[in-house]
Order: sequence, then C-alpha cells, then structure tokens
Amino acid sequence: MSRLHDMGGRFGDGLIPLPRDAENEVTNFEPTFKYKWHAKAWAITLAAGALGEWNLDISRHYRECLPPKDYINFSYYEKWLAALTNLLIDKELISLNELKEYVFAAEKGTLRKFSDKDVKLDQRTWLAKDVQKTLGWGGPSIRDTNVSPVFNVGDKVITQNYNPNKDISGGHTRLPKYAMGRVGVINSYKNNHVFPDKNAHGLGENPLPLYTVEFKSSELWGELAESQNDSILLDLWEPYLKLFPN
Amino acid sequence: MSEKKNITDDHHHQHDHAHSHLPSDPELRVKAVETLLLNKGLIDSKTLDELIDTYENRIGPKNGAKVVAKAWVDPEYKKRLLNDATSAIRELSYQGRQGENMVVVENTPETHNVIVCTLCSCYPWPVLGIPPTWYKSDEYRSRTVREPRKVLLEFGLPLDPKVQIKVWDSTAEIRYLVLPMRPKGTENMNENELAELVTRNSMIGTGLPKEIK
Repeated sequence: MSRLHDMGGRFGDGLIPLPRDAENEVTNFEPTFKYKWHAKAWAITLAAGALGEWNLDISRHYRECLPPKDYINFSYYEKWLAALTNLLIDKELISLNELKEYVFAAEKGTLRKFSDKDVKLDQRTWLAKDVQKTLGWGGPSIRDTNVSPVFNVGDKVITQNYNPNKDISGGHTRLPKYAMGRVGVINSYKNNHVFPDKNAHGLGENPLPLYTVEFKSSELWGELAESQNDSILLDLWEPYLKLFPN
Repeated sequence: MSEKKNITDDHHHQHDHAHSHLPSDPELRVKAVETLLLNKGLIDSKTLDELIDTYENRIGPKNGAKVVAKAWVDPEYKKRLLNDATSAIRELSYQGRQGENMVVVENTPETHNVIVCTLCSCYPWPVLGIPPTWYKSDEYRSRTVREPRKVLLEFGLPLDPKVQIKVWDSTAEIRYLVLPMRPKGTENMNENELAELVTRNSMIGTGLPKEIK
C-alpha cells in the first residue's frame, strides 16, 4: 500500500470543505449522498461485501493499494468503486473480459441490451428482506480468546517506529505514521479484537488486545503543538506497543 | 473467506489494475459495474434500494440526538451510557453495523472532545448515519490531530485556551460519540424538545448544541 491514506498531521491541506447557509454560517444539513452514483457506489460495495468473499480489513487494504496517482485524483466514492472492481476480479466474481464488455456497452450507451436477461440470484446474494437484520447485527470485531493483556492502565508505552506490520513490508496496519515511535500512556483496555495487520492479508483473524493510548500533543508535535495540554487518543493493538522504561 | 486469491503480498501492484479499464465518467463506471453484478445475480436491486433508503431516511443524527437528550434528563441513563455505550445505545434500539463497539465521551467545562478518522472515514453509523463530506475530506483528516483549535475555529467554535482538547482518532473498530454539554436555560425542556437542540456536529465535537433564543 502507498500510505497516502495515512494523512494525519500532514501539511499543505487547506480549509475544511464545509457546507454553509445563506448567512455563511456552517450548516449541519447536506444530503446523505450528493449524487445518485455516490449512493450506488456505496450500496454496491456493501452488497458485494455481503457475499462473504472478503472482510472489512481486506476492502480497506484494497483502497490503500490504489496506485498513488489514482488515490490522489479519485474522489471518495471513486476510490470505493475502483477498489471494489479490483476485488471482484481478484476474487473471480467477475472476469476482466466481462468487465470490458460492460464498460464498452456503458460507453456506447447500450447497457440496456443486457437488462432483459434472465437473472438467477446467486445463493450468497444479500436479499432486501435480510437488510435490516444484517445491518442490526453488524460485524463485531471482538473475539472471546484467552489472550490476556500485557499492559495495565497507566503504563507508559512506546509505539513501533518502522513497518508496524511484521509480516509484510508495506502491509496493512492501523498504526498511523504520526504516532510511530512516540511515547503514550495506556488509557484503557478495550478487549481482544481481530488484528487488521493479518486479517487484511487473508492470514486469519488473530484477535489481540486493543488499548486506547493517550499521547500529549507536545509528544506528537513538539514545541509547535497548538497547546501543551491537548491530547490525542488512538486505539492501538498490542503488537504496536512496547513498555517504555521509566 | 475465499481461498481463490489470498492477498499475502502486494503482487497486485505489479500488473495492470482492473479498475484502469473503467470509463472516465464515474457515473458510467458505477452503472457498468452495477449492471454486471445485477446480471450475474450477485447483487439485487431491491437490496440496494433498501440500503439507500435506510441511510437516507431512517438512520441518521436524529438517533444520536435522542441518546444525548436522554442522557441529559436521566442521570442513571447517562451513567450507563458513559460506562457501556454499546448497551445503553441499544436500549433505544440503535445498534449494528459500524457501531458494534461504541464509546461515548463527555464534554465538560474543562474538556472538549473531537472525533476524527485519519486513516479512512470510521464513523458511528447507527447513531449518526453516513459521514458528511467534510468528515471524509483530506483537510479534516490531516489537520484535526495536529491543529484541532484552528479546525474548530473554522467550524465557528473558538475554544478557551484553558479548555483541554481530546482528539479521538478512530484507528480500530471502536466508534465514538461526543456527549455535548446541555445548553443553559433548558431546565424546563423535555427530552423531545432537547433532542431538537442536538446537532450532528455537536456529537462529533465540531459544534455545540443549538442555543435557546
């Protein structure tokens, strides 16, 4: 992956793109989906995910694996759709030839010719009648395991500095760059959760202790921190952390 | 999970990406993939409609507002909410996808909480719905952890330098909701009236509840 998605603390970004009302005040109201195709890209991604051929971590990793120039140029839902397309091909749910055929038809405006086809639903397909039930259940990441947490609340820890993913160089991880090699304090233990660094690569769930770790803003941003009192809290898995000698 | 192709390395960097064959117009791109999946019977159009309708009309910040208003009027509920948010929120029948493990953080005169996801766009769907565009923007994701005070100022929320800011970066599957402070002068309002004051941004920490005029 490119790590372009890992943008916390990056410099150069401008004003937050906020919707404003007639008096130029920030408003809380904007449509859930700005365009119909946003809604469709989102819904197709959820529905295809429900086929069970990949997990949430794999789909995140696929977005992070988009080539840097695409990652930067694509809007949010374009990233979703591109990553979904690559997943569909890699998991052999569609073939490249099929994709090309449909893309050709879409560009020629002849997609309609496919629409009266007799469709037989795949037995894995997510049905409308099951939508509320499945959403209500969600995808819990906590696992019952006999793994005990090594750290206690109040322990000083230091985060990994290089390649937090120990299996794969440049592999998926949830330790952001801005918090690498920094000293923080265990704020709470959050039970044992599926470990994305493995799960994103199809290497199993490997549930491990997850902690909320608090970092002083001065530890992350030095003397130029906005305030020496502020803090940033991250949810980090045990392998990202080492006890920091007092 | 399928064993057809487990991605155990970054091999898919080395060949042509399938997505590079997609049309340049994003609307056509979605249409092509959608039609293909529909015709293969891998998705059902009624499911897509149900999903979109659910998050456009049924699941959104109104849910979170009810949680906050209840916590304002019911000290026992507030205690449960801060102690085990997932269960307390489930009492109001809000649960599930992207809210499986909820944590509620309380604003006080001394501490102001702000929620962000620097790595993607993690957001508590059952109580707030689908995140707004600004929450998913590069600008919000990059700047909020480094200069939260400047960011809040852009939202029209200047903070006293004496107030401590806690920024919660949603790096795992815990989802956060801010419990804002109850506005002054609302002592005689009931739960439903109070819920009307709770804005979405106040539950992310980038705004405050509406004031009483």
